[in-house]
Amino acid sequence: MIRSRYLPQKVFVEAGSRDFPFTRRILKNLPKVPIEIISRPQELIENIKTMRDAIEEGKKYLLLTRQKGDFIKPCPCTPHYIGCNYYIINLDLNCPLDCSYCILQSYLSSPLITIHVNIEDLWKQLDIFLHKKRHSALRIGTGELGDSLALDHITESSKDLVSYFRRKRNACFELKTKTTNIENILKTDPAENVVISWSLNSYRIAQEEEKGAPPVDERIDAAKRVSDKGFRLGFHFDPIIRYSGWKEGYREVIEKLLKTVDPSRIAWISLGSLRFPPPLKPVIKKRFPRTKIIYDEFIQGKDGKIRYFKPLRLELYNKIVSFIREAGGKEVPIYLCMESGEIWEKALGWKPKGKEEVECSLSFPLDLP
Amino acid sequence: MSLNQIFLENERFRISYYFSLERMILSLKSVGLINPPLVCFRDNHFILVSGWKRVLACREISLSPIPVQVSEEEDELKTFLLAFFENLASREFNLIEKAEILSKLKEFGETEEKIVRQFLPLLGIPSTFSHLDTFLSFSGFEPELKKLIVKKKMPFSSARLLSEFKPRGRKLLLPLLLPLGQNKQKELLEDLQEVSRKSDIPAEKLLASKEIQDALKSERLSPLQKSDKIRFLLKRKRYPSLSSMRDSFDSLLKRIDWPKEISVKSSPFFEDEDVSVSFTFRNNVEFQRHLRKLQKLASKKEFSNLFK
Repeated sequence: MIRSRYLPQKVFVEAGSRDFPFTRRILKNLPKVPIEIISRPQELIENIKTMRDAIEEGKKYLLLTRQKGDFIKPCPCTPHYIGCNYYIINLDLNCPLDCSYCILQSYLSSPLITIHVNIEDLWKQLDIFLHKKRHSALRIGTGELGDSLALDHITESSKDLVSYFRRKRNACFELKTKTTNIENILKTDPAENVVISWSLNSYRIAQEEEKGAPPVDERIDAAKRVSDKGFRLGFHFDPIIRYSGWKEGYREVIEKLLKTVDPSRIAWISLGSLRFPPPLKPVIKKRFPRTKIIYDEFIQGKDGKIRYFKPLRLELYNKIVSFIREAGGKEVPIYLCMESGEIWEKALGWKPKGKEEVECSLSFPLDLP
Repeated sequence: MSLNQIFLENERFRISYYFSLERMILSLKSVGLINPPLVCFRDNHFILVSGWKRVLACREISLSPIPVQVSEEEDELKTFLLAFFENLASREFNLIEKAEILSKLKEFGETEEKIVRQFLPLLGIPSTFSHLDTFLSFSGFEPELKKLIVKKKMPFSSARLLSEFKPRGRKLLLPLLLPLGQNKQKELLEDLQEVSRKSDIPAEKLLASKEIQDALKSERLSPLQKSDKIRFLLKRKRYPSLSSMRDSFDSLLKRIDWPKEISVKSSPFFEDEDVSVSFTFRNNVEFQRHLRKLQKLASKKEFSNLFK
């Protein structure tokens, strides 16, 4: 994707999805894009999957369909490592950005950028879900199976989501992005239980491995504008990637970040080193033949995923935590994504007993009824 | 038709190589030729369309003349499809046969689109252009390599790795792969490729390095030992920190004189801090003896280094 906003070459609308108000809004925002009504999206998906680069091909098209199952799912995290008790909302699937390491390349069965248009069902499901969880604080977000804001100029869903969650005080809602697509956010009143987060990386990794994503400085500037508007911020250094000069690379971006935004407005910073399921490796190899990130010293973790050999992970976390602390982020909550208790202990000085403790350490003091 | 009338040098419709004639000869000797091979007339010759194993076996035991079916189809693609479907109905194809079939379909003018959608599923291959590309690359492999793939029943994933090497690299790899089983073949190919990509050193250059050449030229080592040694060398290059930690662990066990009858293991890849020991015993006396040995080990100063 070019750095300008994403525009699909064509929109496919599943026949039963065309009359939803959300569909009409999306199509109104794409006035010049050809539309085709289809009755069997699976045929289209299978057709695209035969292409030489089905993933790239799939990014050219937008599919509007209904979510037939649950919009809300617990974040699968990963077995045998400490999770973070996060819930995900699957409103969009896939992403117009093309990061070499993106797990969606092997995780999703459809390469098409897909928007679930029966958003009314989402509100109903959320009402029930949040009522059931009314006595506990929880974190929930949309940025797991797609970028939360990459399609926001088309969907404007950020406004709806922020407005909805503003009233749900036991939930901390997160929008997670690599883009600078913040116009709708800037037009929306902030809420203390809404966190707008950016995935960040070193300048070099962002440039070489995050095709289509805005440069890191632009992301940080966007975060600053959102913070100035009154939103709290989150940052995800994930995946942290080793390369010659990685220490300097990450220190540089952390210093820039903490000089630009007020650390007291940062709800959390998460750290996760590069990890991936084994089937992703041949996909990366084929789609990004010049990348070297998959040839470092990896082992197969207890969850079956490929991850850096433990001493290398520990070195990454220790350094990055110290960079954050030294650059002015002494009080910023930091958590590790999909790591072992031992690594937590050695990198952060404490070991959560489970995902609920991670949750507790991150949840903003929310009003619980 | 006399066997001499079939011009076997023309292999334009042939898809099968590297097969054993033993059983076919036994069959021919026992019950004769039951199904006539299929021939067609091209360039003033009768050439074989289908039935290579049968005809070669007949030639081997000088069984001639033989009954044949003559196809009058002049279109190359349609003629090839006769051979393809006859074989498809009666047997499984190996990896190289699939590659040859796809290559011939393309050569005889079938569109890639139709090959992907119609023929790949028939061959049990995922219906994608990427898979077609990969199989077409197999058909360009050197004959010796094709033979190795067939004889060793090399899986698709390893053959795909081989396709990513240049012909010279594949030639150098051949003697290394020959003595190894499937898993070790794949491991060697992966490690070599990844060391090469990480270090920006061509695989051929890595294979020509002194330590690998010394291993290859060693007169003391059997072919399997040579391959294993090279595999080990590549593994160390690919995983230097892990190898060094394994060395430290092993040398610590030696230093504290860990008894051989008690097995000790770190967690896989040292991912956990756990260390496990196991031993067998037949009675209380043996059990107590092992425990005493373990207690003695635990009292050694260096014992705690096992957990660092």
